[in-house]
Amino acid sequence: MLKNVTSRVVNDIDIGYWELKSGELYWSEAFLSVLGYSEKNLKISLDFFLKNLIHKEDSNLFRNNFFGLIKSNVNFRQSMLIRTKKGTYKEFVCTTNQNLSFKLEKDSKLIFFNKRKFKTNKKLKKDKFYFKQATEMTRTGSWYVDFIKQKSYWDQQSRRILEYPEDYIPSLKNSEKYYSEAHKRLARKTFIKCAVYGKSFNIELKMVTSNNREFWVKAMGKPVYNTKRDIIGIRGVFQDIDAAKTKELNLLKTSNIIASQNKRLFNFAHIVSHNLRSHSSNLTLVSQLIDSFESPDEKLELLDNVKDIAVSLNDTIEHLNEIVTIQTNINKIKSEVKFNCALKQVLSSINQIIIRENALINSDFSKVEAIDYIPAYMESIMLNLITNAIKYKHPNRPPVINIKTYTKNAKPVLEISDNGLGIDMEKFGANLFGMYKTFHYNSDAVGIGLFITKNQIEALHGEITVESEVNKGTLFRIFF
Amino acid sequence: MELSHKKTACIIDDDLIYISLVKKIIERKNLCNKLLVFNDGKQSINYFETLLDTIDSDAIPEIIFLDLNMPIMDGWEFIERFKKIKNKFSKSIELYVVSSSINPTDINRAKAFNEVNDYLKKPINIDALEKIFKYNNAS
Repeated sequence: MLKNVTSRVVNDIDIGYWELKSGELYWSEAFLSVLGYSEKNLKISLDFFLKNLIHKEDSNLFRNNFFGLIKSNVNFRQSMLIRTKKGTYKEFVCTTNQNLSFKLEKDSKLIFFNKRKFKTNKKLKKDKFYFKQATEMTRTGSWYVDFIKQKSYWDQQSRRILEYPEDYIPSLKNSEKYYSEAHKRLARKTFIKCAVYGKSFNIELKMVTSNNREFWVKAMGKPVYNTKRDIIGIRGVFQDIDAAKTKELNLLKTSNIIASQNKRLFNFAHIVSHNLRSHSSNLTLVSQLIDSFESPDEKLELLDNVKDIAVSLNDTIEHLNEIVTIQTNINKIKSEVKFNCALKQVLSSINQIIIRENALINSDFSKVEAIDYIPAYMESIMLNLITNAIKYKHPNRPPVINIKTYTKNAKPVLEISDNGLGIDMEKFGANLFGMYKTFHYNSDAVGIGLFITKNQIEALHGEITVESEVNKGTLFRIFF
Repeated sequence: MELSHKKTACIIDDDLIYISLVKKIIERKNLCNKLLVFNDGKQSINYFETLLDTIDSDAIPEIIFLDLNMPIMDGWEFIERFKKIKNKFSKSIELYVVSSSINPTDINRAKAFNEVNDYLKKPINIDALEKIFKYNNAS
């Protein structure tokens, strides 16, 4: 029957469709033109279509559908690839029983061929909407760097986040300017690793907007390859995580402060229990002795020991009190402390010792002249470290003490070094700043100075480190 | 207390008050007739290391009372050094750690040494001290 189907073109409407009427097959002009044909250069027939136009994988199904429609009036819907005149395939959705705006003749059947593009376009628009919402709400920008064209591309969201105008063209050559000073190196290294070794990345770093505002981003990217597996670009996204990161950093800071306070409290509790225990156990021992001695003379003799215990107990309490005061004093108002003035003050108070020991003290505060600090602490820290340096001088040479300031990692540093006895760091390093720890045979060593110094520095969130070598000298660094 | 007249004891401690009290107990109870006192581990280990060459057995203590927290050389380092020479002496030496530390870590660490006979917490008990001398005597 279908051999009788004669080919003809229907051209009344701009829709790709077939019309089957009284055993004849008509193809609409739109159907032909979308494939790049006209009725002149091809044969309108089902056979021709099945053999030459429809993709062979779709062909059998379509044949069945087609006969199903003709013989049994079964409607169908099928997507398929159809070859254009150029030899490329286009995707179509083929349907029957569409609602029509034009009048359909009796006994006539229609098969519509809608280009897939129209359908997906709608979906694409919808997806694009969701995509836009997602990028806006998560503050995520995406970008692409094309190594071949030597260009970099940003989406609008990237421009918005980085505070550049909508027509701004990102610079590839000067791309380091989008990263904060501290993270330029990290950004460069990460990029090079990705470009050279194909290592994709997921890092957190600080970027800079056109208005010079620094903010935290989470940057992710991966290499783009061509068919030869050469890296031809990097595609990536970055998300503005400044609010969360700032919170995280604040939390970390607070947690560090709490941890260090906790550590100090723990140390303090240990010191209290340990140092008070030695006195209380001596008192207990005395009372045991008083009980065991019978003669009043012997009992009276023990009173001297009680007196001694009282004195050392009092000393310990005073030391502990000093430490508690450090903790409570940190709320005292800081003021500008000139290193020069603080040092002068300290040196005049120990002038006698300096002259007696023939000590030489050099100072250079040109790099950092002053900081905000509690003045009494600064003087106490300097006094402790300088008197220590003189106290533990080397017997063969007069003490030379060098004091200087500088900045490291944007923090002021005070450095005090000497040419004294030095400390065996391997043995005593761990206990150096402990309470009642002494390391030399000096009768006036109490073991409280460095402990207080460390407490004062840490109470103001600073840090003290030490380097030392026996018979060479000791170097203290205070990071404010 | 006749048995104890040959005894030599040794205290290694930096707490002068404690030393003077223990001295009093030992004298009063006549627990030994010679008492060596050192204020830190280094002085005492130097003494013991030179003792190796001596034949004067009275100079070698039968009992050592060792503090842990001391300047220059603490009790731990003393034990390590003492371990190496202990068996070279002509008589056996008992070593007691006497410390105000009640930290279980310290106690277990000290007791883990074969060279350490016991761990005594300060304040030391007079009766306990007496027993140590008597027990040592009997053995």
